[in-house]
Amino acid sequence: MSAQMKRELTTLLPRLRRFSRTLTRSAPEADDLVQEACLRALSRSNQWDASQPLDRWLFRILRNLWISELRKRGVRTGAGEVPAEESPELVSPDTGEASVAVSELHGHVAALPPELSSVLLAVSVEGYSYAEAAELFEIPVGTVMSRLHRARKALGARITQTKDMDA
Amino acid sequence: MSSSEEKLSAYLDGALPERDMREIEEALARDPVLQAELETLMAADQYAQAEFAKMLNDPVPIGLSAAINAASGAGVANDPQAPGRSRWALAAVASVCLAIGGAGGFVASLSGGDAPPPRGWLADIADYHGIYARQTRHLVEVPAAEADHIRTWLSASIGAEVPIPDLMAQNLTFQGARLVVAAGKPVAQLMYTDAGGTVVALCLIRTDTPQQGFATRSIGGWDMVTWGGTDANFVIVGPQGRSDLPSIAEAAATQV
Repeated sequence: MSAQMKRELTTLLPRLRRFSRTLTRSAPEADDLVQEACLRALSRSNQWDASQPLDRWLFRILRNLWISELRKRGVRTGAGEVPAEESPELVSPDTGEASVAVSELHGHVAALPPELSSVLLAVSVEGYSYAEAAELFEIPVGTVMSRLHRARKALGARITQTKDMDA
Repeated sequence: MSSSEEKLSAYLDGALPERDMREIEEALARDPVLQAELETLMAADQYAQAEFAKMLNDPVPIGLSAAINAASGAGVANDPQAPGRSRWALAAVASVCLAIGGAGGFVASLSGGDAPPPRGWLADIADYHGIYARQTRHLVEVPAAEADHIRTWLSASIGAEVPIPDLMAQNLTFQGARLVVAAGKPVAQLMYTDAGGTVVALCLIRTDTPQQGFATRSIGGWDMVTWGGTDANFVIVGPQGRSDLPSIAEAAATQV
């Protein structure tokens, strides 16, 4: 099981890194998070239901580890234990150097707030239904719908703005 | 933002009840402003999909693959060392070990130096072939139609030039490629099939000590022909007993 899981995890790495980047907005942190999630999955491989897709299990582990990290940081910075969805690091664009590099590399999508880009990635690219995305991010289905629309609306506005500037 | 606006996005995803889908369709038929709004959302979605697809092209750090390969299995949860090793500190340890000793040093450091000798890369290649040669729809990660991208992507990933030999004269059609990890190192795996659908793979791994001459061997029920190039070792892998593997290897070797 472990050897096979290692091979499958290796194959999944590009997609895991992409999801991790939408959460962390920092390439180095994203890779650290992916590594930790993979090691967590391997150490708990006996908990994986092999009838379920491995990628979905890893996305859940990634998301849970990141939320846990944000909560710890919230405590460390004196903010107390705040709901992850209210954590400033989750809802505000990070202006750090690494995230700027990610943004420059991947355009308007990387400039979206994490709570929008991660839901957009899950539904529009990874094929999650609204209900599945709601379960992954622990938010109501209506919030999934709202975030998807806000993400597309913001992207549409930025694309239009770029076209106008280029014209 | 009104819920009717949000419904337009859900309409795009086919995520509304049938009745709401019909209502939106009727509204779209009579409202050009709403149509324009939908087109903007669709354009944004297509843009996002293209941007997200680009993110998959970023080279995966070798340290990540090495850390996965070096990890223990389910038993690590009982490792008294494990709980004390913080998540981000572990990554720091990994990067330091990689900087000092490369992937081999990293593997040894995590395992406390008691790790068994690493398996040769060909044993891993045999395992991969056993899994992927059975695939049909998902035989490759990147299809042959994207050959230019495959060359660029795999060359950057393994650190050596990855050519794609034309093996049509050997009745083998190039289907596409995968990036795999063998013996802790990135390996390019080029997949070919014959008219009967049998898979033959050409794999290459970067090395500073290329093999001299050709050699044949059999591992895990797969026959292999190996040889060395300028800065890479190559192997042709196919089913045991397939007699044309040496001639396939020779044809490939003249093009790499």
